[in-house]
Amino acid sequence: MIPLRRRSLFAGLVAGAAATRRAAAAETVHVGVSGPLTGPNAQYGAQWKDAFDLALAEVNPTAQRQIQYVFEDSQSDPRQAVAIAQKFVNDPRIVMELGDFSSPASMAASPIYQRAKLVQFGFTNSHPDFTKGGDYMWSNSISQAEEQPGLADYAIAGLGKRRLGVIHLNTDWGVTSKNLFAAAAKEKGAEVTAAEGFLPGERDFRSTLVRIRDSNPDCIVLLAYYADAATIVRQIRTLGLPQAIVAVSSVYSPKLLELGGEAVNGVHVITTFFPDEPRPEVQRFVNAFRARYNREPDTFNATAYDTMILASTLVNQYGATRAAVREGLAKVRGVPSVVFGTMQFDPNTRRVEGARYKRLVVKDGRFTLWS
Amino acid sequence: MGGAWFDYTVNGFVIGNIYALLAVGLALIYGVANLVNFAHGSVYVVGAYVGWAAITYLGTPLPVTLLCVVVVSALVGVGIERIGLRPLHGSSRIAPLLATIGIALVLDQVVQLLFTPDPRAVPMQVPEWRIAIGGGTVGALDLLIAGIGLISAVVLYGFLRFTKLGWAVRATAQDSDAAQQMGVDVNRVNMAVFAIASALSGVSGVLVGMYYNQISTAMSFEATLKGIVALIIGGLGNVPGAIAGSLILGLTESYGIALFGTSYRNLFAFVLLIAMLVWRPNGLFAARRSLPPEPMTGTFIARSRPVVVPRWAVVAVIALAALLPLAGQPYVLQIGANSLMYAMLALSLTLVAGTVGQVSLGHAALLAIGGYASGLLAMDAGWPVALSIPMAGLVTAALGTLLVFPAFRLTGHYVSIATLGIGEIVALVILNWTGLTRGAIGLGGIPPLEVFGLDLGSVEGTYWLCLAVLVLLALLQLRLLRSHLGRTWRAIRDDPVAARSYGVSGDRYKALAFGFGGFAAGISGAITAHAYSYINHETFGASISILALTMVILGGLGNVLGAVLGATLLIALPEAFRFLAEYRILIYGIVLLLLIRFRPQGLMGTV
Repeated sequence: MIPLRRRSLFAGLVAGAAATRRAAAAETVHVGVSGPLTGPNAQYGAQWKDAFDLALAEVNPTAQRQIQYVFEDSQSDPRQAVAIAQKFVNDPRIVMELGDFSSPASMAASPIYQRAKLVQFGFTNSHPDFTKGGDYMWSNSISQAEEQPGLADYAIAGLGKRRLGVIHLNTDWGVTSKNLFAAAAKEKGAEVTAAEGFLPGERDFRSTLVRIRDSNPDCIVLLAYYADAATIVRQIRTLGLPQAIVAVSSVYSPKLLELGGEAVNGVHVITTFFPDEPRPEVQRFVNAFRARYNREPDTFNATAYDTMILASTLVNQYGATRAAVREGLAKVRGVPSVVFGTMQFDPNTRRVEGARYKRLVVKDGRFTLWS
Repeated sequence: MGGAWFDYTVNGFVIGNIYALLAVGLALIYGVANLVNFAHGSVYVVGAYVGWAAITYLGTPLPVTLLCVVVVSALVGVGIERIGLRPLHGSSRIAPLLATIGIALVLDQVVQLLFTPDPRAVPMQVPEWRIAIGGGTVGALDLLIAGIGLISAVVLYGFLRFTKLGWAVRATAQDSDAAQQMGVDVNRVNMAVFAIASALSGVSGVLVGMYYNQISTAMSFEATLKGIVALIIGGLGNVPGAIAGSLILGLTESYGIALFGTSYRNLFAFVLLIAMLVWRPNGLFAARRSLPPEPMTGTFIARSRPVVVPRWAVVAVIALAALLPLAGQPYVLQIGANSLMYAMLALSLTLVAGTVGQVSLGHAALLAIGGYASGLLAMDAGWPVALSIPMAGLVTAALGTLLVFPAFRLTGHYVSIATLGIGEIVALVILNWTGLTRGAIGLGGIPPLEVFGLDLGSVEGTYWLCLAVLVLLALLQLRLLRSHLGRTWRAIRDDPVAARSYGVSGDRYKALAFGFGGFAAGISGAITAHAYSYINHETFGASISILALTMVILGGLGNVLGAVLGATLLIALPEAFRFLAEYRILIYGIVLLLLIRFRPQGLMGTV
């Protein structure tokens, strides 16, 4: 444990030193990151860092303009996120901002970025209003309007289920997802028999599952993150519920297998990122991640990696100023992406469309393509 | 449907069983030290990670795992007593409570730094067989948890009843000074109690970790909260009562889900908490219906001489603060604006907690009410921001007073726990009242700050607005404190019986204090909402209530200047520690502990 942490600290220092040495030859460009490194969401900030370092190790050596990121810990707390925003917008080195993690923190800081004309790029911000904060709010977060019909299709057309019991996280993301899912399911001729919202941090789902069971579904749909999903699936199985389980892409994580154990066998998941996919972007990312960190990457890693690659592409193609980054986002086409294949933005919604969904099922403790 | 109710009942018992392990330890500590230990959930996390490390790295079998957990957790408990309780003996009663909050912060951070925040799976070391009961199953681990809960309660009961150290513990609980006179080593007793309670908490951490096959550093606050609710239902300091209270809490949650759905679960738990406090403050199992005469009445707040700041100095500081935007440091200015918003909240809390003696742990709820009131008035009713903000203050004053009204007859720790519950209820109502508040989606696109066409959305504008409002509120509060109203408030705090016999109706004056305090907090919440442009039920969480209380105690309870100073320090310190990266919250916790240790009456002294 301790050696690992120390190693990453040293790695950071060494990388930093190397970057300054190279800076003599090429130009160094700074992006600001506002995200949780302490507090209840700290695990996600740690995942971002790993993916950022990996992406930069890949693109910086050959790039004309090399990116260095300044990570400020916000604990995903709006009060600290606005202070960080003020820090970044008044730091002339910063040409683009990435984050924050949660909607309350990100959207509280949006007015400051918008006023200062610094791009706030939210890569975990699926809240439908995030990019409505202004024309400097951009996001490559997977659109739930796209994902939920895909999920409903997996359950209804793929598995032939008609009665769906939904368990969702009771947050802005979870409620948005649930509403979109219910609409898609209805359109495809299925019925949502029950929709139960749970608070982050809850561990006991037994009574929730009795409610779901008594609504008599033939399939249970999970709109949650992987850690909660593992707990829910275990309790579904210990209660002896036989229904098929279908889950949203944020459940796809090697951690699901670790935390869920044998219980997660047979769980169906859709995902935008799947390490066994033969596409070269995916294989390059997965192999590099395994080699560097000696573990499997997940969707959060993949999104953060994509984002840093995008940042590098923007400053190298369009210039290292705030205005150039903003212009570049509207123009850029075909940025290689693990999640999307290639990324381009709709200048009106300031979001990316066309995520590619894979249908997976857990078999013998491994994610495999479902057919 | 009959089958379903049976299942809900079984599920209620299963989860209540888990709460019981936490509540027993809390009850023991409360019984002896008269302290609600907010670090209890953190010890639970420590225990869980020690167990995980023992199994993962040493491959220990279950009995050895538990032994490791017991030893380490007991040592942590001894440390809590040594750092958080003993040095503060004889200072205010509120100081140890705050110290446990500081210790919780430090413990959580240490665990997070050592083990990373990634959730971990704890290998199951208990046979996996399950028996079918009704529509569900119960496993060996359920029975083990129930067994440990019951056995520990019985052993504790026997220990307290029949052993010499047990007598000493009970004597200390009844009157620690008298016990000391009779030759009881009170410190040793306290240390033993903290060790036992913490060992129990650690064991429950590792067992619950196995139960859910998952541990994370984020689970400590939830554990503390549920333990406290169970404790109140069973009666503070009553060990067997704590087990019954936990089972009742589990059943209430389960039936709440059955009747209204999962998102109402905690709402039911907290409504039950308030109902218990109002109708049976001694817990379900006490014979007496009235509160015990709290030994802390009148001494809950430390006496000290407030620091006298000359008027010209205050004027000079305000003038300097008003000139700060000219320095051209927007980041510093933003921190200043944040501090000023929190200073308004601290003003409100210092009045309620310091001057009137009602220590509130749910003050963030007032921010939430103010923020939503102003946001909804501006967005849905089309009010100009300059009117919606003061209106939000009035709404908060009215609603806040109404909500806390049932808690007026309570004193000391009971008020703190009741307000904690009310705070949670407000957040859960906001989450569930989708028609009005838009639920979890939150309020987006709240119009920016402006006063009749004058745009105050820039950081300078926000800062000046906050400064002006804060100075006005502070002057008003100082004026009130010097009037006969201020004297009456302090009289109620210092001796409610004497105040009543002089014809002062405590409730009405408390209502006045909450009204004024609600107004200030509501304005603060409203300004925050317009500055952020987006709020949801998580924006003003329980951690903000605790932060506000820390500010107020740090500044000196009841001290207006102290509240402003406390808010400024506690907002600025984490920013100043940014260079420490992952370590900054740890250092912040340690600084907080040192401040409580060496200046328990607050920097500016209590008034």
